[in-house]
Amino acid sequence: MTNPICEVTNTLRFVSEAISSGRLVHPRCRQRAEEVAKLVGDISWGRGGPEHCGAIENLARSLVEEGPDESCVQLGREILASLTEHREAFESHIETHNCPTGECVKLAPAPCQMACPAGIDVPSYLTLIGMGRDAEATEIIREDNPFPWVCGLVCTNPCEFMCVRGRMDEPISIKYLKGFAAERAMSEMRYENPPKAPDNGRKVCMIGAGPAGMTAAYYLALKGYRVTIIEALPVPGGMMMVGIPRYRLPREVIDRETGMIESLGVEFRYNTRLGKDVTLEQLREEGFEAFMVAIGAHSAFKLMIPGEDDYPQVINAIDLLRRVALGDRHLPGERVVIVGGGNVAIDAARTCIRLGCREVTVAYRRTRSEMPAHEEEVIQAEDEGVRFAFLTVPVAVEGSDGTLTALRCLRAELGQPDEQGRRRPVPVKDSDHPLKADAVISSIGQVIDRTGLTTLEDLRWSKRSTITVNTVTMETSVEGVFAAGDVVSGPATVVEAIGGGKKAAEAIDRYLQGIPQPKWPQVPVRRRRLECLEVPASTKMIPSRPHMPLLNTDRRRITFQQVELGYSENAVREEARRCLRCDICRRCGLCVEICRDKMGVDALQLGYLNFDHPSPTDLRTTSERCIACGACAANCPNEAMVIKDENGERCLRLCGTVLNRLRLEYCEQCGAVLGPARYHDYIAKRTKGVSPLVEGRSLCVQCARKIAAGRHAEILPAQ
Amino acid sequence: MMNRETREMSKYYIFQDSRNCIGCHSCEVACKSNKGLSTGPRPCQIITIGPKFVGGLPKSAYTFMPCFHCENPWCVAACPTGAMQKREKDGIVFVDESLCVGCKTCMSACPWGAPQWNPEKGKVVKCDYCMDRVDEGLKPACVTVCTTHCLHFGTPEEIPQVRRERYARAMTSLE
Repeated sequence: MTNPICEVTNTLRFVSEAISSGRLVHPRCRQRAEEVAKLVGDISWGRGGPEHCGAIENLARSLVEEGPDESCVQLGREILASLTEHREAFESHIETHNCPTGECVKLAPAPCQMACPAGIDVPSYLTLIGMGRDAEATEIIREDNPFPWVCGLVCTNPCEFMCVRGRMDEPISIKYLKGFAAERAMSEMRYENPPKAPDNGRKVCMIGAGPAGMTAAYYLALKGYRVTIIEALPVPGGMMMVGIPRYRLPREVIDRETGMIESLGVEFRYNTRLGKDVTLEQLREEGFEAFMVAIGAHSAFKLMIPGEDDYPQVINAIDLLRRVALGDRHLPGERVVIVGGGNVAIDAARTCIRLGCREVTVAYRRTRSEMPAHEEEVIQAEDEGVRFAFLTVPVAVEGSDGTLTALRCLRAELGQPDEQGRRRPVPVKDSDHPLKADAVISSIGQVIDRTGLTTLEDLRWSKRSTITVNTVTMETSVEGVFAAGDVVSGPATVVEAIGGGKKAAEAIDRYLQGIPQPKWPQVPVRRRRLECLEVPASTKMIPSRPHMPLLNTDRRRITFQQVELGYSENAVREEARRCLRCDICRRCGLCVEICRDKMGVDALQLGYLNFDHPSPTDLRTTSERCIACGACAANCPNEAMVIKDENGERCLRLCGTVLNRLRLEYCEQCGAVLGPARYHDYIAKRTKGVSPLVEGRSLCVQCARKIAAGRHAEILPAQ
Repeated sequence: MMNRETREMSKYYIFQDSRNCIGCHSCEVACKSNKGLSTGPRPCQIITIGPKFVGGLPKSAYTFMPCFHCENPWCVAACPTGAMQKREKDGIVFVDESLCVGCKTCMSACPWGAPQWNPEKGKVVKCDYCMDRVDEGLKPACVTVCTTHCLHFGTPEEIPQVRRERYARAMTSLE
């Protein structure tokens, strides 16, 4: 897990303490300690370079070796110990410009980036999208995720759940903006691969062309490896292709992004199943030095009810979706019952509607609010005519003469919560009833098909029947074999597989180069520190994200055309401007505190800054009260709040949002800036009890002093 | 407008015998170095007046401008945070940096430009007669380095009567 203490800050703290305590009596020693503090401070404030750690180490060593007294030696040892123990943390600060604890003020990360399993620098690419620079935005995304377009359509967007804007009104529509940028970049032919390192001649093999396998292939190919992917299916994409239906993710999207990876020289071998068409030994003989197992979870749990195996019309959702994705458009039955409440159940139901099933019912044990499926997709399914039978527990499959006729179910009610906090369905007595059906589709979860991996005897498996790996490096118990994706996590999301693939690529590179593996998980990298977009407070306050236009329902019921039609360009640019830039503002609330408690002005109504108890936010009211004193900006540790004089006005901005603009007044003597009238009113009100202000003149500090001095000057004749 | 009696009301007083001042700015330098200030803020400042032709010769005057430590200071009234204070025991007006939020109201309020902006810290800095030194029985930094000894620190009673003596001498020629 991530270390909860920032070791860089900690080191800085104890070195500074040693300096200020007066313990270091020898001047040379004190100077060295100060130099260490300066270098550690550099790292903490994002100014660290590749030589910083070495320089700190040398200084600490000279403290130990040259003393001259015990306190110096002691401090030197402490610094060395901290640096040796936490070298990774120091280097991570320098390389990623990200301090996950947020203790290093300038390096405090945005919550959206930390929430993303692939660690994408969300604020940076949103800012570029806001500027209309879609190709550059795509480039930033691809530094962490080679599938911006796919993720822009089907990601489960954990970033949006952490979005700070969500505390204010609604989270930024991060997912769709990403999709827009990638689509636009692709359409403008500006979706490009970054430059590739020269070929290093070493061969690596990925097993499975899903998101995890292709992501690892992408990053390894960029590093100069010769990568081959073997894939059991005749198509690339894994679950993206055969799990996610086409109306959510068009094939072209997968094909184009796969094409980008292929153009880096990655070789794809389709229709090649490990353990059947090829063995690991054969691959080793071919010269592959490292492997990554990313075969996904393509088998299904069984319902475990009587009659399940007696009728061919009982199928599982994964098989149905794969069949349909590969081109088979036969309907499973006229009247279909789908058992389950996850995204796959909804996908299967909506697919059945499109295949032409007359009646499609999703039977789920709990209620709508407990459904693991996405709310939006449930609504879209209902719009298309999918019916739901909630609190319905299947108990048996019934039929006659080898033909399925019904799924026998019990009605249930919600009882006590289980260990995961979900309320357990309890069957109601005598509630046995049949749901008429001629096909039953089970969708109660996927499992890993181990058959191809049985020859790997040393491979360790977890209790959940997933491959056990070191979660930092994705190494399995077999040397040179790594694993990522659903085969490690169990059925999960595209973006988690991408994150795993990226981690594995880094570890495979280290393994083959003989570099020690990291101890701590990789920290997401701050890719850019972009200027904030200037936005008027009223624009920033536009409360809701744009509505996603959908294909009309009739067409949705008969075709596999993409349902979500995408935002208009205007909506995208406007939406990007709603971003609060949490990579710059760390939401410490010092500005609000100072304005309210110290200045007594209370012009900042930024309720969203408080994580635990958010109160209302209104960026527009600042201009009603703000006197533009600049105390908020002077105390902002991260230059998020900025006050600047420009074009005859004093302007206060928070991460680019213009909070206030006041016309300036000038020194009547020299023309220097004095500040706005409202600021002077504030002072006059406070000082009116003292005595009338001198002559009522508007003078700057310098002129006030000069004029006062001139009054006292005595230029006397020479004696 | 202002007269000296109403504004120099701290227990202490820095007297400048401007006649002897050569404008070397040593006081300013010592002040800044004592407070560890970079370019910009000058808690005390020598202001050059002139040059003017007096009796056919160019003459300049140099006025020492510290803080006057007013009896009823504008800066203290203007400060919303209580950072700007007047010390009870001797009337020295000083700024408690830990309370200062950098709103600069004191700077705008002071008619003499005594509070200065320290951009390195984002806080105000001003002449406090080096009160830490004073408490140790020392003199303010500016006074100790004055090359011509034209700066004198003490209570008003201790201030030398140089001007009166000089004037008297100028009036009564024995020749």
